[in-house]
Amino acid sequence: MRHPTDGTLRRLVDEPAGVADADREHVAGCPVCLAGLASAQEDAAAVGAALSFDSTVDVDAGWRRLAGAAEGRPGTVVPRRRRLALLRSPLVAAVSVVALLIGGSAAAAADWLQIFRTEQIAPVVAPESELVKLPELDAFGQVQVTEEVDIRQVADAGAAAKATGLSVPRVSRLPKGVTGDPTYHVLGRVSGVFTFSAAKAAQTTKAAGQTPVPPPPGLDGSQFQLSAGPGLAAAWTAGRPVPALVVARAVAPTAASSGVPFETARDYLLSLRILPENVASQLRAFSSDGMTLPLFTSVEQLASTAADVGGVPATVLTSRDGAMAAVVWVIDGNITVVAGSLDADEVLSVARELRWDR
Amino acid sequence: MVSSPPGQGTVRTDLEQVFRTAYPRVVAVAARVLGARDEAEDVAQEVFLTFGRSKVPAGEAQAWLSVAAAHTALNHLRSGRRRASREEAADDGQAVSPDIADAVVTRDERRRVRVALARLPRRQAVALVLRHSGLSYAEVAAALDLSPGSVGTIVRRAESALRKELNDHASSD
Repeated sequence: MRHPTDGTLRRLVDEPAGVADADREHVAGCPVCLAGLASAQEDAAAVGAALSFDSTVDVDAGWRRLAGAAEGRPGTVVPRRRRLALLRSPLVAAVSVVALLIGGSAAAAADWLQIFRTEQIAPVVAPESELVKLPELDAFGQVQVTEEVDIRQVADAGAAAKATGLSVPRVSRLPKGVTGDPTYHVLGRVSGVFTFSAAKAAQTTKAAGQTPVPPPPGLDGSQFQLSAGPGLAAAWTAGRPVPALVVARAVAPTAASSGVPFETARDYLLSLRILPENVASQLRAFSSDGMTLPLFTSVEQLASTAADVGGVPATVLTSRDGAMAAVVWVIDGNITVVAGSLDADEVLSVARELRWDR
Repeated sequence: MVSSPPGQGTVRTDLEQVFRTAYPRVVAVAARVLGARDEAEDVAQEVFLTFGRSKVPAGEAQAWLSVAAAHTALNHLRSGRRRASREEAADDGQAVSPDIADAVVTRDERRRVRVALARLPRRQAVALVLRHSGLSYAEVAAALDLSPGSVGTIVRRAESALRKELNDHASSD
C-alpha cells in the first residue's frame, strides 16, 4: 500500500475519525508515516500556540455598535471593553458562570451570601473548539465592573507586599538558565456585580439551538458579587521578551449571592443544556463542593497532571510543544502559580522550595 | 471591505440572530490573524455590515462570515493599516499576568506570526486560520470549495511554511 498523503497525516493529528481505517492501520505500522505524523503534530502544536488568542467578546456591546452603524447613526461608538475583557481572563472568568454552577453554601456576610470560594483548582480539559463555545457571563444578564483590572510594575518586593498585603515569594534556587533579579508587579482587586436576566438567558438558550426554560421564581434580577485579587508577581525576564520564570500569587476568586439559593441558579443553568456536554460532565463531577475553581484547559495546547506542593494538591500544565510549564495550587484562599519556559520538574522544584517573605 | 455608507440599502431581518450566534467565532478568526482583539472586533463589524446587506443564504452564513473575517483580517495585515500601538496596548500587563495562555506567545512572537501569515499564499492562510479557529475539515472544505481531503494537505503546507518562517526568524535573532 502507498503511504497516505501528508494531508491525511495532518488530519490524523486532530480529526482522526475522518481518516479511512486502512490509512490509520498503515500509519500505525509504518515507521516512515509515524515520523511524518510526529512532524505534523509538532508543527500543528507550534502553529496552534503561535496563533492562540483569547478572543472573548461582549456580544451585546458588539450588537449595539453594529445596530447603530446599520441604522446610520453617526458616531455610534461603543467603548472598547478591553478592561472588561481582562476581567474575563481565565483567572477571573472561571468564577463567573461556573461559580453559579458549582457554588455551595458558606458563611453569610452582610446581605450577601458567599456561595463560592476557591480552595482548590481542577483542570477541565476540552478541545479548544468546545472551550470557545462556553457562554460568557453577560449572555445571562448584565455585568457591572466595580473594580477594574489594574496591573502595574512596582519598585521592589517591599512595594509589592505593601500594595497587596500579600507575602512575596523568594525563590531558593533559580533553575538553570534563569538569571538576574526579578521585576515585581501588582494586580489590584478586581470585582463586579452580575445581575441575572431571564430574557437574556432565554435569548442565549435560543441562539444555542435549545428551547428556553422559564427560570424559577426569584432568579430573574437576582445579583451575584464576583471578586478576585489583589495579586503580585515576580518575573525573571533577563532581557528576554518571554519571562524565563514567573512566580505569582493572588487572592483567589470568590462569589456571593444576594440571597437566591445557589442550587436554584445551578440547576437552572444546567437545565439549559447549552454547555458542551464534555465540559458540563466534568463540571458536574465537582459541582457540589463550592470550592473547586475550574481551570479551562485546551487539550490541543496543554497537558495537565496532578502533583503536590508541600502536601497541597497542585495541577501541572505543560504546553504540547514542550516550550513551557506551570504549576498552580491554592492554599489559604490564595492561588499561587509558578510558570516559565521550563519543564515540569523545574517548575515543581521551584514551587516546592519557595519561601514567602512576610 | 465595506465601502458604502452604513444605513443604505435594506438590512436583512435575520442579522441580529446570525450576529449573536456567529460574532464570537468571527472575532476569533480575525483575532488569530491580527493578534489584537480590538482590531478583530473592528473587522467583525465590517464583515457583519457587509453580510447585513447581502443575500447570503442563512444556512451558509457561518461559513461565509468566517471566510470573510479571515480575508478581511488578512487584507488589514497586508495593507499596512495596522496600528502597532494597539497590539502593544493589547499586550500591556499580560506578559506578567499569571495567565498561562497569554504568556505563551509574546509580543515579538506575535509580530513574527503576523508577518509570516501575511507571506503565505492566501488560500493556505485562510484554511490554516479557519482550522485553528475550530472549523472542522468538512466546514473548511465547504467554506473554501475544496475537497475535505485537500484541506489537510493545505493546512499541513501552511503549518510547515509558518513554522519554518518562525524558526528562521528565531535563529537569525
